[in-house]
Amino acid sequence: MRKFYILLKKEVKELLTIQIILPLIITAVLFVFIGNVVGKQQEKTTGPVKINLIDQDKSNLSENVINLFNKNNIEVSVSSASVDNALENAKTENKTALLVIPKGFENYILAGQSKQIDVYTIIKNFSVFGGQNYANLLADIAKVNGILSNSLLSQKNPGIDPTALKNPLTPNEFIVVGSKQANVSPSAVMAFVSQQTMYIPIILFIVIVLSAQMIATAIANEKENKTLETLLTTPVSRNAIVVAKMAAASLIALLASVIYIFSFRSYINGLTGNISVSSDISAVIEKLGLSLSPQDYVLLGLSLFAGILIALSIALILGAFAEDVKSVAGLISPLMILVMIPYFFTLFLDLSALSPILRIIVYAIPFSHVFMTAPNLFLNDYPPVIYGIIYQLVWFAVLVGIASKIFSTDKIMTMKLNFKKKSLFSK
Amino acid sequence: MDKILSVKDLKKSYGPFEAVSGISFEVNKGEIFALIGPNGAGKSTTLKVITGLLAPSDGTVIVDKMDIAKNMAKIREIISYLPEDSGAYKNLTGIDYLNFMAGLYAKSKEESQKFVEKAKEICGLGEKLQNKTGTYSKGMTRKLLLARTMMINPKLAILDEPTSGLDVINAMEIRQTIKAKAKEGMAVLLSSHNMLEIEFLSDRVAIIDQGKIHLIGTPEELKKKFGVSNLEEVFGKVVKEDK
Repeated sequence: MRKFYILLKKEVKELLTIQIILPLIITAVLFVFIGNVVGKQQEKTTGPVKINLIDQDKSNLSENVINLFNKNNIEVSVSSASVDNALENAKTENKTALLVIPKGFENYILAGQSKQIDVYTIIKNFSVFGGQNYANLLADIAKVNGILSNSLLSQKNPGIDPTALKNPLTPNEFIVVGSKQANVSPSAVMAFVSQQTMYIPIILFIVIVLSAQMIATAIANEKENKTLETLLTTPVSRNAIVVAKMAAASLIALLASVIYIFSFRSYINGLTGNISVSSDISAVIEKLGLSLSPQDYVLLGLSLFAGILIALSIALILGAFAEDVKSVAGLISPLMILVMIPYFFTLFLDLSALSPILRIIVYAIPFSHVFMTAPNLFLNDYPPVIYGIIYQLVWFAVLVGIASKIFSTDKIMTMKLNFKKKSLFSK
Repeated sequence: MDKILSVKDLKKSYGPFEAVSGISFEVNKGEIFALIGPNGAGKSTTLKVITGLLAPSDGTVIVDKMDIAKNMAKIREIISYLPEDSGAYKNLTGIDYLNFMAGLYAKSKEESQKFVEKAKEICGLGEKLQNKTGTYSKGMTRKLLLARTMMINPKLAILDEPTSGLDVINAMEIRQTIKAKAKEGMAVLLSSHNMLEIEFLSDRVAIIDQGKIHLIGTPEELKKKFGVSNLEEVFGKVVKEDK
């Protein structure tokens, strides 16, 4: 045990280099920073939309529209200039758009005909937030439209609810999850759940790839420096060497996951801060059981840990083929593919809708179960989670057996991937 | 004489290629025995089989009366190996490296400390042991590694090209250390393709080429036998005769 501790201490010291720590810290700081910047930008875009407006109609209705705009989050500056000049002013005054209410607007509307108003949107960039003000303006115009049409309908049809006329089919939405149901819009619930879980697969992906890269590089480094030759001739069991390397990489991976979880949460919260969660939604989420209990977090942790262990053992085996550090990237590419397939499949597709053959292939990849754990836990579907973890542990046992066999024989010294000669063995 | 190492009819193949073809030799206590030959002669493969890094294809290797096929774990406690061109862990300081390696051999903290003190004395790196080994020159690294090999006072030290690529002064200091340790009773098996160095260092030499040992004897015996003035000429004549 003392020798194992000595080995573990050395492995951690070797892995915790500035090359590992610095990117970790930079990524974390960067995500927190981006999250904050995006959050502040969100706050800015939730303020009133500032526009210039030319009223060519100068009627009661156009005046009414301007009043309604001002009351509904649109800050209107009425201009008497020409369209070209008003547009120039809007640009210099950093306004979102110029609206022109044409002559004869009131007459057309009161006659039951539509009349378009010209909207000149000023685009300054094509980022998500660059278009946010324009989207807000359209939403506010739609709101004013609703108020106006209600008012016009009421004038023409006294005693009739204009909403019933406009929407004779009004959906009363229910969401059903397993045996539980609630009277709420599915889109609100889905937005909440996706906000809470979207960072999980990203973290899983990063941590699995990071830990695999670490251990494969460590082995390749030892082979290149011939420190592995020295280590293997010392009176230490080969299994202790293998386990110490895996334990050290797991510890660093664990540290990385904690750092990434915090920084990603901050980033995602900044990005999706506008999805406000009312207490009603929270109550519904609770009622539907769409939140993770401490027991769920334990299962999620177990599944992730099993995934990391599998990645580490595959990387250990692949690292044994490495001749030097340069060859590591190429060697662990099969592992990256094994992680990327389920990552993208679970991110974009409904696995149950895949063809049977494709589904079997995806389920056979042990990492798929890591990515499927969180969605299953949200749906309180425990058997696939438990069987997934067992399946992962079987994979791990087999892979550790292979890794142990490689390290306890002279294969660790002779195994090389020679792509040119297609030979596994050479001196 | 106490026989520390006995190699008999040792063969090692990599697929169809036979790197070592049935060699036999012995190394006694306090003796420096050298395998000399050109690159690819089978020297390193032989050393790796004796250290347990490679499994022999045929033949027997006995270290201190223990067969490597049955007692490798025990043998690892009494041998120490210095691979050719090896490095230390670049992120560890020299002293951390020695502490780490000593800990793997020692049975207690006290013994580990004793090993490290010994290594400090052998390598003579002084304050530089506090620096990371990644900053060391080739000579400093080699001295550190030789000290690591010798600090545990192994019954058999196996040194693969111990002075390869070093300048004259560093090579000389390392040779002196090896000689001194052998005088204390340590058996040393080393390989080199520098035959003049071996002539100064070794008690007995084996000339190896293409996986076969052609001749074994003291440098004086071999030179006398062929009537030449150095081992390089002996090697030339032996290889020529064989062809």
